[in-house]
Amino acid sequence: MINTVEKIYSNVPLVEFTNTYKVTYSDSTVKFVPLDEANSDYQAIQEWIQEGNTVIDNGGNS
Amino acid sequence: MNELKVDKVSPRTGNYVALNTVGMKNIIINGDMSIFQRSTSASSLTGSGYHAPDRYRFSKSGFGTWTWSQSTDVPSGQGFAYSQKLDCTTADASPSAGSQFKIESKIEGQNLQYLKKGTASAESLTLSFWVKSNKTGTYIAELFDVDNSRQISKSYTIDSASTWEKKTITYAGDTTGAFDNDNASSLQLTLWLGAGSTYSSGTLSTTWTTATSADRAVGQVNLADSTSNEWYITGVQLEAGTTASDFEFLPYDVNLQRCNRYYQSYTESNTIIRGYGYNNSSGMSTPFTFKTPMRVSPTMTEVSGSDAGSNTDLTSFGNIKTYGCDFDTNPTTSNQFNYYQFTFTASAEL
Repeated sequence: MINTVEKIYSNVPLVEFTNTYKVTYSDSTVKFVPLDEANSDYQAIQEWIQEGNTVIDNGGNS
Repeated sequence: MNELKVDKVSPRTGNYVALNTVGMKNIIINGDMSIFQRSTSASSLTGSGYHAPDRYRFSKSGFGTWTWSQSTDVPSGQGFAYSQKLDCTTADASPSAGSQFKIESKIEGQNLQYLKKGTASAESLTLSFWVKSNKTGTYIAELFDVDNSRQISKSYTIDSASTWEKKTITYAGDTTGAFDNDNASSLQLTLWLGAGSTYSSGTLSTTWTTATSADRAVGQVNLADSTSNEWYITGVQLEAGTTASDFEFLPYDVNLQRCNRYYQSYTESNTIIRGYGYNNSSGMSTPFTFKTPMRVSPTMTEVSGSDAGSNTDLTSFGNIKTYGCDFDTNPTTSNQFNYYQFTFTASAEL
């Protein structure tokens, strides 16, 4: 079960979204999930959002 | 002398037509159970997921606890080196109505277009496999059309306890509902091992039809009713036509590469990725190319890691594509030689 989802930014060479989400599950497992609609974990994130959950987005400022 | 196995006669030319006689006739990947990248023995399994043999998904709610492993118990004289084994460690003799227990193998639609599903020329499919269990009785092998929510189920019987038996099942071609021509799951082979009444209270659907849950696994025995229960399978082959040909053995490297499209493990002790940098003001990004392109951009998971005192962290896997990704590290001390060694997996499973 998904616990949190965070957008990942890179600062090399510029601060930009890396098309990756850091997903932490309830069993503390961490996975890095790409923005790819055919990826089953990305599909699970979309379902999680539709259930009313929010993706953490700090704009690259950690 | 080689024997030509004829599947049908061409209505146009009158010539014999033999389907898929040259290479890759088996729709199922890892049918000989030779590839177990995740683990050769996964224990305490209670939920769904890809846990042990490549390309086979454990799909389950209820029905106890299991160990899923690679076994060298194989049918004698058939050329197989491995089987997959399920061993019940906690029984569930009275599963709830909605419980289900099955092994699934999912196939991309773009690899199935030659079956001509959804046309008047739709090909039949024949499933063959070797199976062994102390739990005798009726089992269900189902084909599920994911794109059109259609399915067909056939039963087979394990006649003799703890004896390898070969089973062959033919499914008619489906003239309704074409498979999508893409990289998503279109066809799913489902080997049922337990079914609550939600999936077994109707009449077994032995012809292609719109899926009705109650008709999918009627008569299925409960493999989870005793901790003495074990189930082995190998030589799984699904092919076009109405006859089962000899199992198509592929070289190990070919099998592995086919599995690598869906899952890649970089966890061998000597598979260590290093990155270098000495600036704590910005991160360090190191590109990496996968062994083979994957089905979709994969989910990346760090399995273990260490900076060996160089004050560097792996912050993320970035810009993940089907062919590779970036390792984003973050040196935390200036003017120091940094590196980070770690192991990881990439998953693009269906």
